Amino acid sequence: MNPSLTDASADEPNGTRVHALDHLRALAMLAGVLFHAALAYSPLLHPWWPAADRQHAPLIDALVWLPHLVRMPLFFLVAGYFSASLLQRRGMSGLARQRVRRILLPFLVAWPLVHLSVAMATGWAAEATLYPSPLLQMVREWMAMPDAQAPPPGTGHLWFLHYLLLFGVLHWVGRVLELGGLLQRWLALGMPWVALSLPLLLWPGFALTSAPHPAPEGLLPQFWAIGVYGPFYALGVALFGRLESLDSLRRWLLPATFACLLAYALFLRALGVVLVPGNASWDVAALQALIAGWATLACLVFGLRALAQPRAWLRYLAASAYWTYLMHLPLLFAIQYLLMDLNWPWPAKFAFAVSATLVLCVVSYEILVRRTPLRRWVG
Amino acid sequence: MTAAFAVSGLCKRYPHFALQDVSLTLAEGEVMGLVGVNGAGKTTLLRLLTGLAAPDAGSIDVLGHRLPQAQVAAKRGIGFASEDMRLYRSQSLDWHIALVRQIYPEWDDNYAASLMRRFDLRAQQPIGGYSHGQRVKALLLLCLARRPRLLLLDEPTTGLDPVARAEVLEALADVLRDERRSVLFSSHNTHDVEQLADHIAFLHGGRLLAHRDKESFLDDWRRVLCLGSLPPTLANWPEVAQVRSAGSQIEVKLRAWRDDLPERLAAQGLTVQRVDPMALEDIFVTAVRAGGAA
Amino acid sequence: MNQVLNLPLIRLLVIKDWQLFQKQLAAYVLAGIVALALLGLARPWAFYLGSLLLIIVLVAGSCFSISNSLLVERKEQTLAFVMSLPLSPLDFTLAKLAGNLLTFGVPFGLLLLGTLVVVLTTPLPDGLVVYSLLIYGHILLAYSVSLMVAMQVESEGWNTFAMIASNLLVNPLIMLLGQIDAISIPARADAIVWSLPAVLILSAQVLLSLAALGFTAWWHGRKPAFY
Repeated sequence: MNPSLTDASADEPNGTRVHALDHLRALAMLAGVLFHAALAYSPLLHPWWPAADRQHAPLIDALVWLPHLVRMPLFFLVAGYFSASLLQRRGMSGLARQRVRRILLPFLVAWPLVHLSVAMATGWAAEATLYPSPLLQMVREWMAMPDAQAPPPGTGHLWFLHYLLLFGVLHWVGRVLELGGLLQRWLALGMPWVALSLPLLLWPGFALTSAPHPAPEGLLPQFWAIGVYGPFYALGVALFGRLESLDSLRRWLLPATFACLLAYALFLRALGVVLVPGNASWDVAALQALIAGWATLACLVFGLRALAQPRAWLRYLAASAYWTYLMHLPLLFAIQYLLMDLNWPWPAKFAFAVSATLVLCVVSYEILVRRTPLRRWVG
Repeated sequence: MTAAFAVSGLCKRYPHFALQDVSLTLAEGEVMGLVGVNGAGKTTLLRLLTGLAAPDAGSIDVLGHRLPQAQVAAKRGIGFASEDMRLYRSQSLDWHIALVRQIYPEWDDNYAASLMRRFDLRAQQPIGGYSHGQRVKALLLLCLARRPRLLLLDEPTTGLDPVARAEVLEALADVLRDERRSVLFSSHNTHDVEQLADHIAFLHGGRLLAHRDKESFLDDWRRVLCLGSLPPTLANWPEVAQVRSAGSQIEVKLRAWRDDLPERLAAQGLTVQRVDPMALEDIFVTAVRAGGAA
Repeated sequence: MNQVLNLPLIRLLVIKDWQLFQKQLAAYVLAGIVALALLGLARPWAFYLGSLLLIIVLVAGSCFSISNSLLVERKEQTLAFVMSLPLSPLDFTLAKLAGNLLTFGVPFGLLLLGTLVVVLTTPLPDGLVVYSLLIYGHILLAYSVSLMVAMQVESEGWNTFAMIASNLLVNPLIMLLGQIDAISIPARADAIVWSLPAVLILSAQVLLSLAALGFTAWWHGRKPAFY
């Protein structure tokens, strides 16, 4: 067996492997790299994103917020499924040990490194670039202040590890308090009803934060993030051993896709052109809840069929995805800071930034992880 | 051969009770019934034998270990269940088994499973939902399946219905077929003692009144019915535990039967009508009422 | 007496206590997460509600941990079952201390860490770090004293008294801290100042806690038998 796949194997209770879930998770992580790279050219995020480029295109905003509403929900859904699988095979203490080794330790090691490297790259860019982003400009002014106060430390793009740990703890709480019955009853309604009720569950979470929703980077747990990602994790747990129940959703795939696209169009219209801090209105939150719920389920239903066969490149992607995702943001920022002053068109900058980041991630994976003891932790 | 336990000159004083100068030995493979009324000192003696209490004087050796110093080693070979011992109400029998089997390497899964069937216990059910009889049987299962060399049971059949009592006694009888295992059990149910024990120890008021093998112990006691007028000195004979008269009917209970006793009674002008062996229950009550040595 | 510790059995008993306490612990952990998330809302009302909930969780958690592993065990007569296992009084005491320190210590440590993160990463004055540590120090002391009493005294009444009284003494402590300028004034500033009274109070809390736990271990460890 490929050693890098030993831990997070998505085994059904009958022992067969569900490759599709491995692949879906890898694609969700890859989507994250593309998403973060694209944000540099988003007009909406221009005032807020450190690597925001002079060049930006409304097309980006028309495209990126849809995967933004799907990739992490999908990731947490698959994570819930994997946790349930691991729990069945190794028990709660086995799951806890695995969480410590695969999530807590990588988080504790990667967090300061990522934080430091992003801070260094950003500090350099704030000083050296000719055309800094508005945020870099602010950093430049801030650096000039003699008694500048450092911003509160956040988890950055590693927030997903923080929340995986949090959901791990809540998973234990749910099990000990025997809340599994609630989940089973929910699923017993039948998948179409689950799909209909999922957006309702997500709605309050989306209403508690701004739109498009930010990353919950704070060290303290955020209600909205628990409310948005928690139901997906729980659904993943409940789906363990019952993936076939998703078959009943197949005939709804096309109508759901249309509904999501329609909701997305409405969402874009509501979004306008300026990102306003503060909580989203209830109608915008409802649109996001609908898109996140249905599009994620649609991806799952579609992916379970389309990605079921083991393919070498998907397998490699799945194996290297964790490392790639951990490493990508400092690399991406550094590359985009370097590109900032160049006069290339934005598609060229985007393509270069993505390719260079992925190449560096894959090369470092080959050298540092794949055949070394590190693969036990981040392979 | 090592004695299962040997205590000598044992004293333990509490504010309102004292166990005094108890010396007692149980050979390997023997079953001893510890008889006595409530407050006779049975529980104290069992606590001393498990190392839970330290004696004020005297020595205790259990399975070759001096107590309470080597209580850990001794307790590895002891299965102890007492009437005031409870299992965790919120947890199932399975949970208890999982705990206990990790502690005792001799734990026998097959035996545990067979006892579970024999006792008709539900392994997954929380103990809180068990009846008293089921709780006693569960505790006994946990003691027996660890295959202890010495089984110490404090009132194992108290409060059980007749069916549960029979099941428990049968299970104990099975244990006794193994000659290397020894059992000391206390009871105020003398029928159980009579049925199972091959030795009897009689505790009263913190003192050991008697300690004998069952047959010779029972053999010492007789109930004699006579006709005649009650001789005034009869009650003072050392062999006589109790004398009762109703008209010319006299009942004499003897604690040290000898074949010449009918003749001696006849010499007192009494006509001996019948001589009967006594049940342990009767002996027990008589001895306690007499208050003297059994 | 046999001073070789029966470590595998101590470990098993700690796990046992952990399992028996799991349900309540899960509820406390849930309440703790809600409290931290309330603090994370960064609004004044949520801050007060969150910190109140944190203290409730800590105090209730510590009392239930003691009550579950010691008082209930005694009352429900499961203690006799534990004592019949091959362990010495010292093994038993250490298992109880370790089990309690785990069921109390893990949530206590996590919540302490959470509090420090809140103070240091939000606009709250960093001087509150000293103040919070003194409050946590008191909860630790109250817990250690309650644990000591629970292991020494069988009476349920005295145990309840010890738990309530020691934890309620946090009120006079808060008043006292307010009276000591060297502690109350820096608590409003944005720098961590360790004044002499603060150091003395915290050291006293920690040393007394250790002394209470150490005394308990020594007292039970020297007993040759349980009764």
